[in-house]
Amino acid sequence: MENIMLPKPHKILAVLKETNAEYTFRVAYNQPIDYNQFFQLSIPKVGEAPISVSGKGQGYVDFTIRKIGRLTEGIFGLQKDDTLFMRGPYGNSFPVADFENKNLVVIAGGTGIAPVRPLLNHFVQHPEICQNVYFMAGFKNLDAVIYADELPKFASAFQTTYCLDTEAAPGFRQGFVTEYIQNVPFADFDDYNIAIVGPPIMMAAAAKACLQEGAAPEKIWVSFERRMSCAIGKCGHCKINDTYVCLDGPVFNYTKARNLFD
Amino acid sequence: MTTAKLMANRKAFYQLLARLYEKELSPKFIQQLAHLTYPTAEQNPQMQAGYQQLKAYFAQQPLAEMADDLASDYAKTFLGAGETKGNAAFPYESVYTSDEKLVLQAAWENVTKIYRANGLVMATEMADIKEDHIAMELKFMAHLCDVAEPDLAQQTTFLNEHLLNWTPQFLEDVQTYSRTNFYQGVALLTAGFLAEDAKILATLQRPTATTQSFKLTNAAFDQLLAKWQQRYHVYAPTFTTNRNAKQQPMVRFGAVTQLADIVYDRQSDFSAKEIYYPIMQTLFYFNENNVTESTLDDDKDFLIFMHPCDINALKRTDTIFMHNGAPDSYYQRLREKVKIVMMICTESYENCFCVSMQTNQTDHYNLALEFKTDHVVMAVKDPLFLSDFKHQPTTDFVPTFITKNKGQAHLPKIQNQAQAQLAGHLDYWQTFNDRCISCGGCNTVCPTCTCFDTTDIIYDETSLDGERRRVWSSCMLDSFTMTAGGNRVRKTPGDNMRFKTMHKVYDYKQRFSTENMCVGCGRCTQQCPKDISFLDTINGFHDAFNQAKNETVVK
Ligand code: SF4
Ligand code: SF4
Ligand code: FES
Repeated sequence: MENIMLPKPHKILAVLKETNAEYTFRVAYNQPIDYNQFFQLSIPKVGEAPISVSGKGQGYVDFTIRKIGRLTEGIFGLQKDDTLFMRGPYGNSFPVADFENKNLVVIAGGTGIAPVRPLLNHFVQHPEICQNVYFMAGFKNLDAVIYADELPKFASAFQTTYCLDTEAAPGFRQGFVTEYIQNVPFADFDDYNIAIVGPPIMMAAAAKACLQEGAAPEKIWVSFERRMSCAIGKCGHCKINDTYVCLDGPVFNYTKARNLFD
Repeated sequence: MTTAKLMANRKAFYQLLARLYEKELSPKFIQQLAHLTYPTAEQNPQMQAGYQQLKAYFAQQPLAEMADDLASDYAKTFLGAGETKGNAAFPYESVYTSDEKLVLQAAWENVTKIYRANGLVMATEMADIKEDHIAMELKFMAHLCDVAEPDLAQQTTFLNEHLLNWTPQFLEDVQTYSRTNFYQGVALLTAGFLAEDAKILATLQRPTATTQSFKLTNAAFDQLLAKWQQRYHVYAPTFTTNRNAKQQPMVRFGAVTQLADIVYDRQSDFSAKEIYYPIMQTLFYFNENNVTESTLDDDKDFLIFMHPCDINALKRTDTIFMHNGAPDSYYQRLREKVKIVMMICTESYENCFCVSMQTNQTDHYNLALEFKTDHVVMAVKDPLFLSDFKHQPTTDFVPTFITKNKGQAHLPKIQNQAQAQLAGHLDYWQTFNDRCISCGGCNTVCPTCTCFDTTDIIYDETSLDGERRRVWSSCMLDSFTMTAGGNRVRKTPGDNMRFKTMHKVYDYKQRFSTENMCVGCGRCTQQCPKDISFLDTINGFHDAFNQAKNETVVK
């Protein structure tokens, strides 16, 4: 029987600095990965953590990891050519085939931008797939802006709204990203999808704002972030009601997500 | 007939029936059917009549026209095509079990969950029929007959709760709407077969005459235990040197070598779970570049003395580890060693409510026994053990089960999503905030709790050599849902109590469409330092839910 808890060694190809607190680990990998999937990364001296794929390309996969205390500290001791143990990919993905020929609204809060980054890049390269892409991203302040060098690229390909919660800065609006959802012309769309990623409170607020603007619940997709220990339906940490986020998610249609309570 | 042969025959018949309903029949398949020899002396009158109809059809209709003729009757009967538009025998369970007569209702969700729990998903090329189509339900029965150790109880449940729950009406409708003798015959054959199969399953599960029982003196029993030590690790509830929450000597499952070691006059503090799912387990060893899987110390099997509740609990842990996503090899490698000696209960312990949870009985054991004052009576179900009893006198002992506990659990009847929301948001849950101290003890002693944490142990701070372990975890701990960033989704002891309780008596059953998770062993009640009775918790939930439901209706 296959041992599904056993991680495999992968070589680190590069470590790239994103912000003062966030680094991207580029790891050798050449199997297919769906949008919004994640891996269980072994964090040296600590254990495992679920980390979303923040980019992919020929022969590699990117993970953007935030320095948050002891839990991720261990990984920052690793550098190029070191070995990283991981298993995956896990989880479902956004229904990308359904996005074709429709408008797409992507609303990301903070590091929530990492898991949708591969999808955004895909649509930059293939502008013919969707009608209009509306990309809205909110960060706490200027220091917290990740993938800063990619934001202009997204701005030229999509209708973008970038905001900072607590600061004013050129190119950014001030306030929560959810406050700007009212600017999305939902009434003019013949068909659309909405993808929301970010911290739980931000996702709930964003979904609510979309509904207020008349969006239909079944058009909204949210991606859950949960504590996970196994990612394979055994450890119980990710369970909400009768749903296991690691097996049934992390992406849920809002018609399902709104029924899950913690 | 051997069991294997019987299973193969039942499987073949289920498959044949499934094929008949799945889609229109090909000319080649019809030809094969036309050339079959049909039994003339079938015991079941409906099946007999069914065969007659088929024979009549093949006798009347020219072979060349059959495919078209049957295709048009199939469309008319099952798809509602042609003159009966809208009126048809739609072959979906949810059409027959939902008030609105719609597809994709609760029954569909249910069977989908059952298939998933058995590791099955429907092939995409079957996209035009749904999981609760009669063909799929028949195929699922065929699948259940086709496994190494067929689970007869599961077959019975599925047959009764799914196929037999709607097909009688459906098959009558088939007879109303079909115009060929062929589909008339198929309907009769199906009805007769399903009824017959229910009988077969019932017979198979009756304790068989091959179960032999023996009477052993206490000394002979001790000799047997000594003998078993060579082949097995023999485990039973036994005293440890520790004390439990109530300051009594703690009883846990451990190695026993003599009758006197076995404690059976009270519920053990821990369950048998720790034998096949240890508190702490090393998964693998690693260094900077490699991982090496851990191995087991020896290849001896486990012989565990368990009560029916714990035996039933095994099925719950099996579901999580083997059927919720891909199977877990660490669980499997210990689980497959387990052989069971069922200790029958003659009276219920203080906190038991197994009867309410329907876990007071089981047929899943290798041997069963009852301790009498000066002797032991044992029933040997697994022939593998018969040779151990060669010189023992036989007796007429048949395992019995208790039918009454001191306490009864009343489970709330949650019927839909709105009611589940209501149940989850009762103020009742927050009354536990002042009582529960989030110690997690209740999870630790529970035979059905499976949650764990994984942690890495590094041997020496300067290297990356170490091992990954998994250790039991507990959803009652305040850290259970805490993420790296310090957020918790469930924030109070009351939230945790709601989560645990609903998982034990609602969510698990919702997901796997089987039984409830809790087996009513009462250990969590016995363990709780704050005297929170889980039975009272369930019953309080029931009352609070009913009250809230009535208030909502009145509003
Ligand atoms: S929840 Fe309590 S009564 Fe139910 S199986 Fe677990 S320990 Fe036993
Ligand atoms: S219910 Fe009792 S045993 Fe369980 S966590 Fe609370 S205090 Fe501990
Ligand atoms: S992360 Fe372990 S069950 Fe989902």
